[in-house]
Amino acid sequence: MILIAPLAIFWIAALGLALANGRRRDIGMLGLGALTAGFAAMTRVTLEVAANGPLEMVAGNWPGGVGITLRADALGVAFAMTAIAVLLVAYGFELAGGIESRTFPALTLFLATGLTGVFITGDAFNFYVFFEISMVSSYVLTAYGEERRQLRAAVIFAVVNLLGSVLFLFGIVSLYHTTGTLDMVSIAARMPIVEENPAIVAGTLLFVALGVKLGIFPFHFWLPAVYTGVHSSVAAMLSGALAMIGAYGLLRIGAGMLPRELALSAPVLIALGVASILYGGLLSISRHDPSAVVAYSAIGQVGYILIAVAIGGVVGYGAAILFTIWNSMNKTLLFLSGGLLNRYAGIAYAIGGLSVAGIPPVGGFWGKTAVLRATLIADGHVARAFLAAVVVIGGGLSLLYMFQSYGRTYWSAPEASATGSVWARTGIVLVAAALVVALGAWPEPLLALSDQAALIFEAPTP
Amino acid sequence: MTLVMSLAVAVLVGTGSYLLLKHDLVRVVIGMLLISNGANLFIMAAGLSRGAAPIYPLPESGVIADPLVQAMTLTAIVITFGVAALLLSLIYRVYLAHATLDTDSLAEAEEAEELLAELETGTDDAIDDGEILARESHVA
Repeated sequence: MILIAPLAIFWIAALGLALANGRRRDIGMLGLGALTAGFAAMTRVTLEVAANGPLEMVAGNWPGGVGITLRADALGVAFAMTAIAVLLVAYGFELAGGIESRTFPALTLFLATGLTGVFITGDAFNFYVFFEISMVSSYVLTAYGEERRQLRAAVIFAVVNLLGSVLFLFGIVSLYHTTGTLDMVSIAARMPIVEENPAIVAGTLLFVALGVKLGIFPFHFWLPAVYTGVHSSVAAMLSGALAMIGAYGLLRIGAGMLPRELALSAPVLIALGVASILYGGLLSISRHDPSAVVAYSAIGQVGYILIAVAIGGVVGYGAAILFTIWNSMNKTLLFLSGGLLNRYAGIAYAIGGLSVAGIPPVGGFWGKTAVLRATLIADGHVARAFLAAVVVIGGGLSLLYMFQSYGRTYWSAPEASATGSVWARTGIVLVAAALVVALGAWPEPLLALSDQAALIFEAPTP
Repeated sequence: MTLVMSLAVAVLVGTGSYLLLKHDLVRVVIGMLLISNGANLFIMAAGLSRGAAPIYPLPESGVIADPLVQAMTLTAIVITFGVAALLLSLIYRVYLAHATLDTDSLAEAEEAEELLAELETGTDDAIDDGEILARESHVA
């Protein structure tokens, strides 16, 4: 019952708020309240999972194998918590400055419904349905602001990602046809007896679809145009929360359901990961606008996730989980603070930059360290040295582009005349920055959660 | 039957992909719909069994059709329908804002806007005077 609570809160609140005028401040506050309530409910689920292990629930009390299952394990709740926290911060940021569209609160809540559902569902087709709920709400959110560039960004985003979703559907249905079930645990159990070729086809389709969401190297072409075109709060939601679906899918479907095919494709993943890191890093250096710098940096950062997933094992998957969580927080902080031009937002931007580069006092350091540690256990001396070198070079590049853009944006920019709403937004950004610093200084809860999440790939569930 | 189904899916996805590469946004949306419907047909084709309709009371003998794929297709059709409405309204808004649905003209509009923004802020130290003049004439 407590498992359904966050989903129910988001969904009911979204339906209710869809009827109301979101531009009104009290409606906006209601949306904030619903997000906070959902976050609290999710925290309760997380505590329960951390203490007693995975929670499971079958819709409508159907016997096992017939009904649609919801299953929350450490991996799912870790991602759901991060995604909701990102939405909460980005929504608070938008609320502080005044919401411009009547649908914004409802869409944010629909996005929260979809993301929570994706992360706690135990059914492959339900994964697709929740995935579509979050995608469709983000298509509309991309157009938020409704200026010319936002509309163009929304068209690009919707068409490219819709194609990705259709590929994903093809992949899920192929899995159903080869295994005869949609329950994720049963698929994982039946996968070893499936012939290799159909499994590779399904795996490739799913990988391409998830790659489009993540924005890894050959599928990144839509990303810069969208992230630079949209409002900074929407960019934070897309890159901080929505892109997590890609990483989650790689872990849940790749590592959890198709481990044999994932091991087979490890060289490809590593090649794409390295290409993403170098491409994203080099192009970020050449950009001037802070949002463009962060957008290209997003392409580079997901490369580390691919490398960690390709290395695999508890260390590799743990690193991928930890890095994804940190990456979401960094991107949220950078996109939000990059939209504000004053000294205090500059501090937050610098903290985000330090976190992306992985400089010790700030939190991103833990994600980078985990990935570096994973590269050091990779097979073969040459591969080990090469991957470690790429991670270090990538870190150097990110330090370079973050501080180039920091200097250009905050040292030379004239002090913008600050109004009340700008101060409120700056305050929210500073709170988020403080959170990143605090979680860097006391990383124990996150490390414990990601370790626990990685362990689910250790023991294959029967 | 499998061959007919796969040919139909191939034709739908193929024509859809072709339209998707066109320069007109309406064709892009139609292409997207064809691909989505190809996927819907693919779901039906992926059923594990074919036979009588899976409605209670089930026939005593013989196989019944796989009901799960039909439920999935129905869900996917609803999603396709919603997304189609959304895409059409989106390109309508683009048309209202730009008075064109040609992707080349949209890209040109984007470049022009970017140049204008760069000229207004003037923070880009890479631009020398000659280039500014050249770009201004381009914008004009």
